[in-house]
Amino acid sequence: MSRIVVVTSGKGGVGKTTTSAAFATGLAMRGYKTAVIDFDVGLRNLDLIMGCERRVVYDFVNVINGEASLKQALIRDKRTENLYILPASQTRDKDALTKEGVGQIISDLCADGFDFVVCDSPAGIERGAHMAMYFADDAVVVTNPEVSSVRDSDRILGLLQSKTQKAEQGEIVREHLLITRYSPDRVQAGEMLGMEDILEILAVPLIGVIPESQSVLQASNSGTPVILDKESDAGKAYDDFVRRFLGETVPHRFLEVEKKGFLKRLFG
Amino acid sequence: MSAESVEIKGEMAMLSVLQLASPDAAQIHQGLQARRDSLPALFAGSPLVVDCHLLGSDCGKLDMQQLRASISELGFIPVGIRNLADDCVEQAVKAGWAILRGGRPAVASSRIEKPAPKEANPSGKSIEVIDRPVRSGQQVYFPDGDIVVLQHTSAGSEILAGGSVHVYGSLRGRVLAGIQGDTSARIFCQKLEAELVAIAGNYRLLDDIDTDLKGQPAMVWLEGEKLKIAPMF
Repeated sequence: MSRIVVVTSGKGGVGKTTTSAAFATGLAMRGYKTAVIDFDVGLRNLDLIMGCERRVVYDFVNVINGEASLKQALIRDKRTENLYILPASQTRDKDALTKEGVGQIISDLCADGFDFVVCDSPAGIERGAHMAMYFADDAVVVTNPEVSSVRDSDRILGLLQSKTQKAEQGEIVREHLLITRYSPDRVQAGEMLGMEDILEILAVPLIGVIPESQSVLQASNSGTPVILDKESDAGKAYDDFVRRFLGETVPHRFLEVEKKGFLKRLFG
Repeated sequence: MSAESVEIKGEMAMLSVLQLASPDAAQIHQGLQARRDSLPALFAGSPLVVDCHLLGSDCGKLDMQQLRASISELGFIPVGIRNLADDCVEQAVKAGWAILRGGRPAVASSRIEKPAPKEANPSGKSIEVIDRPVRSGQQVYFPDGDIVVLQHTSAGSEILAGGSVHVYGSLRGRVLAGIQGDTSARIFCQKLEAELVAIAGNYRLLDDIDTDLKGQPAMVWLEGEKLKIAPMF
């Protein structure tokens, strides 16, 4: 039985694609056959983050339009076994996504024996985001510790419970909150919303907190999902998140201000 | 002389507007009857404005007398007509219609939580209980009675109740109680952080002035024309 997971947020630039790439890689590393689909038609990014931009021949919209088969369009990841990427089309727009077309692809992936299908949602609440969430069983809502991001996530949570197939059938999409770009120093200084404040507003179970980290940008630019960077805090936090998603109990890390030693205080 | 015994004031009033898509009298009667039968309690004796802008030049085919008779017969009160083609105005006046200036059609806001009920309160219930948070952008609409929200409501959400509203979590969105004019409706919440509260059309924005009430369990009610807010404990 495959699980369809949408990674969404409402607001742009909060880390949906970074999260999708890390999440899908993490699932595949644990042996689950995983496909990650880029729903951001027209603003294709996932292939860059996954480092497979030179291997895109056919895309999501080609498959929807019957111009290519799913097998032809799926890109097998070179680093991680069991991981496949379905890139978005760069030359089309979100109107190319039809409910029937998306539904067909997702059910084909399920029939193909995929354990997880990760849907990387575009920003906004329009067609692209709607199609990405429509077939979801689970939703990972990505939020930055910032009021506008929290409000947009709240809006998305409302849509998840009204505009998805699950909602139409009277069922519930499982919600998970992932806070990204969290900086305990700035929370302590009162410049950023704290984790408790975000949870108070959204009232959704927390599945992970990813600390603000230089390594995320480096990983994006080099086309390596940050979860593969086992040394960085962000990579470790993403790994914890995947483990929690799979049902393990893992304590939250990187929530406290790091105590700096004398030398570190001197030299930063 | 008592010139003060009467007074004429310009006021905005809520009126239902009947949009005509066809000049055919039988079709109008049928359509209106179907609408009325779907919500008899709401429409009984309600004043109606007829809007003809969809008809354009077909206005001439409209039987003004018949239209008036049809509307009255179905239990509405014909108030006036608007967006008529100029050459039909005289005929309408003769039939006893008041000519109104064209207004902007109301834009229906999207209702996510509940689509407008097809029948008037089919279940006959008088309380709507919401057991999930009311999220930003969602609207809960229940004109037939009270709304009870067991969780919080978010900033940017809207609750519209014919009766009172109870929120057993933080109240952060807009709340409108007594939307059909019930001045005895009240709003209760565990933590008042609302953007706007209103009872029977009397509203108040919660701004920095009300800081002492923020985050407190509070009740909102109407005294005369004035909206009162007080902590509950």
